[in-house]
Amino acid sequence: MTVEGKQYPPVTMEIEADKVAEFAWAIGADPHDGVPPTYAAVYCLGATAPQLFGDEDAAIDFARLLHAEQEFEWTRHPEVGDKVRSQARVTTDINRRGMRFVTFETDTTSGKGKPVCHSRALFVIRT
Amino acid sequence: MIEEKVLFREEQIAAYARASGDMNPIHLDAKFAQSVGLPGVIAHGMLQMSMAAIVAAKAAGGAKRLRKLTVRFAGMVEPGDTVTFTADEVAAGKLQIKAVNQHGDVIISKGAAEFVSGRGA
Repeated sequence: MTVEGKQYPPVTMEIEADKVAEFAWAIGADPHDGVPPTYAAVYCLGATAPQLFGDEDAAIDFARLLHAEQEFEWTRHPEVGDKVRSQARVTTDINRRGMRFVTFETDTTSGKGKPVCHSRALFVIRT
Repeated sequence: MIEEKVLFREEQIAAYARASGDMNPIHLDAKFAQSVGLPGVIAHGMLQMSMAAIVAAKAAGGAKRLRKLTVRFAGMVEPGDTVTFTADEVAAGKLQIKAVNQHGDVIISKGAAEFVSGRGA
């Protein structure tokens, strides 16, 4: 059971003002500061993670999944109204000491194809 | 060094679940969380990271200046926990990020951020 190397189809998403404001409020950021950097949890990681979690081949037990590490690298921060495109792949998927370690990487680009954000998530699934 | 103490509340965790779309029941339903071996509902790692990012942005002089943020979720955060987030500039454009709860347990380890300063932001 490993989906190491698997790539998922790109997903597009618009950065919507209402959603950004709700997110900023939830994390305690000032909504006047624009799109919070960690809104990447939505437009980058969040846009693509459901592809992994819903993948029958990956067979990930969502309830036993812990988010162990996260890295975001921004080339530029998106603004409200931008349409972004994200594509994800599984870069590692290994079992060790009764746990499964899945590294899931996502690249988000602007409508013009310029890099916006790279996400690297490490998920640990307790088996 | 920038420091902020945050009290995590169940309502905020639920608000983050709705705002982010991460509706995993381990963040929302205590009985469910206990059924999978957790003490109760726990905060999203991404909510912790978002708070760390706010502190990092203050240390960097603005959120748009952040170029990289890395964290390891070393401990769980439950409603009622108070977490102290710190961002310390250890070199030009580089921050060390830490988060520790009210018991002194490390919540975020290996936390680091990079930012650009001045007109490049």
